[in-house]
Amino acid sequence: MPTSAFGTARCELMSAATVAGANAYYILRLYITGTTLQSTRAILNIRKICEEHLEGRYELEVVDISQHPKLAMSEQIIAAPTLIKRLPLPLRRFIGDMSQTERILLGLDLRAAANRPSAGSS
Amino acid sequence: MPEDARSGPMLLAENAELRAQLEGAEETLRAIRNAEVDALIIESAAGPRVYTLQGVDSASNRFRGEILAQVSDAVIAVDGQQRVTYANAAAERQYGLGPSRALGQLLSKMYETRWLHPGDDTAAETALRERGEWRGENVHVRQDGRKLHVESSMTVLHETVGQPAGVLAVIRDISDRKQAEDKVRISEIRYRRLFEAAQDGVLLLDPDTCKITDANPFMTKLLSYAHNELVGKELYEIGLMKDEGASLEMFRKLKSEHHVRYEDLPLKSQGGRHQEVEVVANLYDENGRAVIQCNIRDITERKRTEEHNKLLMAEINHRSMNLLAVVQAVAHQTARSGDPASFVARLFDRIDGLAASQDLLIKNQWEGVDLGDLVEAQLAHFKDLIGARVMLDGPPVRLTPEAAQGIGMALHELATNAGKYGALSNDDGRVHISWQFGTANEPVFLMSWSEEGGPPVAAPTRKGFGQMVIGRMVEAAVDGASEIDYRESGFSWRLRAPFAGTLQKGRLASSAGGVRG
Repeated sequence: MPTSAFGTARCELMSAATVAGANAYYILRLYITGTTLQSTRAILNIRKICEEHLEGRYELEVVDISQHPKLAMSEQIIAAPTLIKRLPLPLRRFIGDMSQTERILLGLDLRAAANRPSAGSS
Repeated sequence: MPEDARSGPMLLAENAELRAQLEGAEETLRAIRNAEVDALIIESAAGPRVYTLQGVDSASNRFRGEILAQVSDAVIAVDGQQRVTYANAAAERQYGLGPSRALGQLLSKMYETRWLHPGDDTAAETALRERGEWRGENVHVRQDGRKLHVESSMTVLHETVGQPAGVLAVIRDISDRKQAEDKVRISEIRYRRLFEAAQDGVLLLDPDTCKITDANPFMTKLLSYAHNELVGKELYEIGLMKDEGASLEMFRKLKSEHHVRYEDLPLKSQGGRHQEVEVVANLYDENGRAVIQCNIRDITERKRTEEHNKLLMAEINHRSMNLLAVVQAVAHQTARSGDPASFVARLFDRIDGLAASQDLLIKNQWEGVDLGDLVEAQLAHFKDLIGARVMLDGPPVRLTPEAAQGIGMALHELATNAGKYGALSNDDGRVHISWQFGTANEPVFLMSWSEEGGPPVAAPTRKGFGQMVIGRMVEAAVDGASEIDYRESGFSWRLRAPFAGTLQKGRLASSAGGVRG
């Protein structure tokens, strides 16, 4: 079930989250398609990553595009599963079952920039 | 903006943006090639369409998913690490969580499981491991603290190769049912307690067979039958109805009127004891089955009290008539002696004396009067002198109502005379009132009034009403004899009476009892 409304508290978090850093607050949105294998895997994998690396400072929203296809179009989603890092900026997207943990960590700026290979995200 | 006017930084930014878009496209293609995506979203004229990239089972999978989404029980699937991989709409409602918060979470974050009995958790674990399924009840505590009593059915899920891949749980919230069951159980305990502790006999009967189906402990006590001896019997067999015909008549009436009441039935217990009982029976519906409830109240004591009250009322009537006759005689005699001017005062004074005795009798429920109390009541005017100039001396004695009335009137006359003319008319005189019992050979009651220290005594020239009261009237009341002595040194009066008629039966106090003085 998508949640698109941003409350006051969330706006405050957003302004804090726009400043990148070790304590930045992450707002992530995962687009899936029902209970398919890749979708289930993507949910499990991204939850694990968040709990291990972002405990207490993230919000993960799971949107089922089979239920809400228009929401997918608004963020130019062309495949599922897709994870969007909405905050902290810059916005990044990851496609697949989120099983490539290192690549995701780098994309989320949770690994040192020096070790970062060429970007796999936008 | 013309192309040649673009600044260097702007071109660099545009270049970076295009590079990022290219990388995004490559990333998408890589993910598709690696089979990491399972759906594509294509914009069409009718709006966005989702194309799933799955095998031939996808349609049936979707069908199954749609069915699960519709069922009213919560359906939750977890993987081997207890992370939620599926939760249907009912599960989201039941645990108050949307899919964006439930999916991928550890199951323990959806709810906490509390087992009803020690060892239930181990049993469930063993059943899942050995049989691949478990069914049972426990309590789930939601994140908001709300407790749900649930009935769960859990099945181990397997990968195609046969390895366990997780567990599928179908969970039904039975809190309402449990609450209703608890209410029924509490109600059962409450009414069972009422039934068992009731101080009335209660019988339950089957209207078809006319036989007893249950009886409370008080009923078994009332009839001296054991519970199992009562069950299966008919009412006439336990002595409640005089015969089978009377019993059948009661059932006939109950079936037509649903209620019968017998105010007064004789009941004979197994031990032969006779009791009076009141029976109230009702026919009511118990879950589609007719049941008769019979309440039996032992009214033996109430009947006894009613009889006693009847006797008491007759006795009061009789005594009132007697008292009125005495008042009539007193008024007549008072009018004959003395001057007419003081008639009212003298009559009132004597009626006061009668009233004092009457008061004591009523306080003692007409079951006799203590002589010491009677003396004190009649000498109420001289209350302060008792113990100083008026000495009382005698054992505790209880007089019959008749003796109390006669002796009471005599004491009143003696005290009035002593106050007017005798030992209590000056500052020094003394009165000694004593009573005692005769010897074993001579069972009589003796009482005396002796005065000393008063003005010189002279015998009256004519006999007035007072003399009649301390003479003939008191003699008649106790069936005894009196003596009056007008010695100059002090007036004295003696009464001698047989025990019978003077002393209350069974109320004769020991002569060794306390002595008044």
